[in-house]
Amino acid sequence: MSADPREAYASGTALPDVVTGAAAPGAGAPLQQANLWRDAWRRYLQNKGAVIAGGIFVAFVLFCVIWPIVSPYDITNDPLNFSEAYETPSLQHPLGTDKLGKDMLTKLALGGRISIAIGVGATLMILLIGVVYGSIAGFAGGVLDNIQMRLLDALYGLPYLPFAIIVLAIIGENNIWTMVIALSIASWFTAARIVRGQIITLKENDYIRAAKAVGARWYRILTRHLLPNTLGVLIIAIFLELPGVILGEAFLSFIGLGISPPDASLGSMAQEGREVYRVHPYVIAIPSIAIAMLVLCANFIADGMRDALDPRTRETKEH
Amino acid sequence: MALLEVDNLHTQFFTRQGVVKAVDGISFTVEAGKTLGIVGESGCGKSVTALSLMGLIPKPPARIVEGSVMFQGRDLTKLSERELEDVRGKEMAMIFQDPMTSLNPTLRIKTQITEVLDRHYGYSKDEAVKKAIELLEEVQIPRAAERLNDYPHRFSGGMRQRVMIAIALACNPKLLLADEPTTALDVTVQAEILDLLEELRREHDMGMIMITHDMGVIAETADEVAVMYAGQFVEQTETQELFDHPEHPYTEALLEALPQLEGEGIRHGRLRSIAGRPPDLILPPPGCRFAPRCPHASLGDGCAEQLPDLKPIRQGHLVRSRHPASQREAAVTA
Repeated sequence: MSADPREAYASGTALPDVVTGAAAPGAGAPLQQANLWRDAWRRYLQNKGAVIAGGIFVAFVLFCVIWPIVSPYDITNDPLNFSEAYETPSLQHPLGTDKLGKDMLTKLALGGRISIAIGVGATLMILLIGVVYGSIAGFAGGVLDNIQMRLLDALYGLPYLPFAIIVLAIIGENNIWTMVIALSIASWFTAARIVRGQIITLKENDYIRAAKAVGARWYRILTRHLLPNTLGVLIIAIFLELPGVILGEAFLSFIGLGISPPDASLGSMAQEGREVYRVHPYVIAIPSIAIAMLVLCANFIADGMRDALDPRTRETKEH
Repeated sequence: MALLEVDNLHTQFFTRQGVVKAVDGISFTVEAGKTLGIVGESGCGKSVTALSLMGLIPKPPARIVEGSVMFQGRDLTKLSERELEDVRGKEMAMIFQDPMTSLNPTLRIKTQITEVLDRHYGYSKDEAVKKAIELLEEVQIPRAAERLNDYPHRFSGGMRQRVMIAIALACNPKLLLADEPTTALDVTVQAEILDLLEELRREHDMGMIMITHDMGVIAETADEVAVMYAGQFVEQTETQELFDHPEHPYTEALLEALPQLEGEGIRHGRLRSIAGRPPDLILPPPGCRFAPRCPHASLGDGCAEQLPDLKPIRQGHLVRSRHPASQREAAVTA
C-alpha cells in the first residue's frame, strides 16, 4: 500500500477497493470505521521522539512495578549490612549499594514507584480541581466567571514551591497523600484556565444550541456535550503537568520536606547521594538520571499527544 | 384557538453600540397542521424570531421586551427557564440551518436521539433504542439499526439533516420550527428534505413555521406567508395570494429577483436585484423601513416620516405600505 493516498489514487490501485467497499455495504467485511482514537494513534506513531519516550516511560513504570516483587533483595526487611555499604556496581548489585548496604536497583524501583504515584496522583487531583473550577466558570459565564477568574489571577501570583512548602508545613506530615495535596493545591490554576477556555469556545457550538432546543438541562449539556469534547486537551494537560509535579516532588524530597525514610522517592534518594557525591557520585547520579528521564519522556509524550489529538495546533509550539 | 398566537413580539439586543431592534412588533398565528412561511433576506430577524419562540435567544445581550407568545394556552415569554425546558423538544421542536455543526461530533447518533426520549419520556434504554430505530426509518435512513451506532461524521449533510429531523420529531411535537432547513444542502437534497418534512408534517398533524430566504421553498411548503423586512412583517397573506398578487414593493422586488424557467410571462435577460442595503437595526429609518430602497417612494408622500401600519388591503391580505401594487394601478388608471 502506498504511503501517500493520492499516489494510490493516481495509480488506480486503491480506487477499486474504495468503490466496492462503499457500494456493497453489509456484504463481506464491514468498512473500517474512521475512528478518532485510531487516527490519533496513527499520528502519534509518526512522531519518533514521542514513540521512544513513550517506550522508555512504559518500560520504567513496568520496572518500578515488577522489579521489587522479583528482586532477590527486600529493602525494608533485609538486615542492615554495613560491610556492603557503598559498593560500586557489580553483577550482584547492578547499580551498587547505598550507605546501608541496600541494593540500589531495587531501591530505585521503589523510589520510582513512589515518585510516579505522587506524580500521577497529583496530576489527577490537579485535573479534578481544574475541571470542576474551570467548567463552572466557563459554563456559567458572566459575574461568576469574572469572580472565579480574578481569584485565579490572585492565586497565580503565588510561587509554586514555596506555596507547596507552606501547605506541607501546615499539614505537618510527610507521606504520599500530603505530598499529593501539597503539589496539586499549588498548581491546578493552569488546568482550570485551559478547561474554562475550552468550555467557552465549545458552548458557542450549534450542537449546544441544538441540545438546548430539545430541552436538555444544563448539567446534561455540561457533562455530555461539553466535557467529552475537552478530553483531548485534558489528556495533553496530564502529560504537561506530570513533569512539573514529578520535579516538584523531587525538589521537596531533596530539601527534606517530602518523603522521609524508611520510604524513599527519587528525590530523597538524590538527597542521600548529595552527602557523599564526592566519594560515591553514582549514588546521586542514579536517581537524578531517573528523574531527568521521566521528566523528559513526559514532555516528549505530551508533545506527541498534542500533535496526535489536536492536529490543528501542530505548527504552534507554545507552552 | 390557534396552536400558536404571537402578539406584538419585540426582541432586542442590548449591545455597546446601542439597542438592536431585531424583531420589532410582529404578530401571527399558526393553526394546528398548517405551515406558516417567514421569508426575508439575511439579517431581517427571521432566526431571532424562531429563537425567541423557543426561548433560546442569548440572554444577555438579547431580551424579549414586549409582546406575548401564546402556545397551547400558555404564554411562553412568562415561563421560567425550567418550564421552557419541558416545552422544548417535547411540544415545540426546532431544526437548524447547518446540519454539519448541529450534531455533537463526539456522541453517537444513538445517544443524541435517545437523549430526547430519555429527557421527556424517561424511556428505558431498550425502549429508547427501539424508538430511535423507528425514527430513523421514518426519516428514511437506510439500515437504521446499524447507523445508530455511527458518529455524525459518517453521515452526509442531507443524512445529518434527516437525523436532526428525527430528533426534532422524537416526542411528537405540536409545532416544528424549521430555520432554513435546506439552505446548507445541495439542491437535489433540498427537494428530498422538503418532501420529507411535508410528509411528516401531514402524518404527525404538526403546525410548522418554515423560515427561509427562498421563495421556492415557500411556494412548495407554506400555507400562509409573512414577508419580513428589518424586523417587521411587511406583507402577510396566503401563499397563493402572495404569488398571484404581491402588494408590497419589497415582495414584488423579491419575486422579480427569482429566476424563472418556464410559464407565462417569462422574463428574459438579467435578474433584477434590489438596490441598496437593509437598514441598520439600531437606528432604523423613522418612516417606512423600506422607503430608502423603494422605487415608489418619493419626497413629500410621507413614506420617510411615518411608519405605515400593517393593514388589510383585502380579506386576509395584510400589507404595510403606502404604495401597494393594486392601489398604484388604480391611481394610474384614474
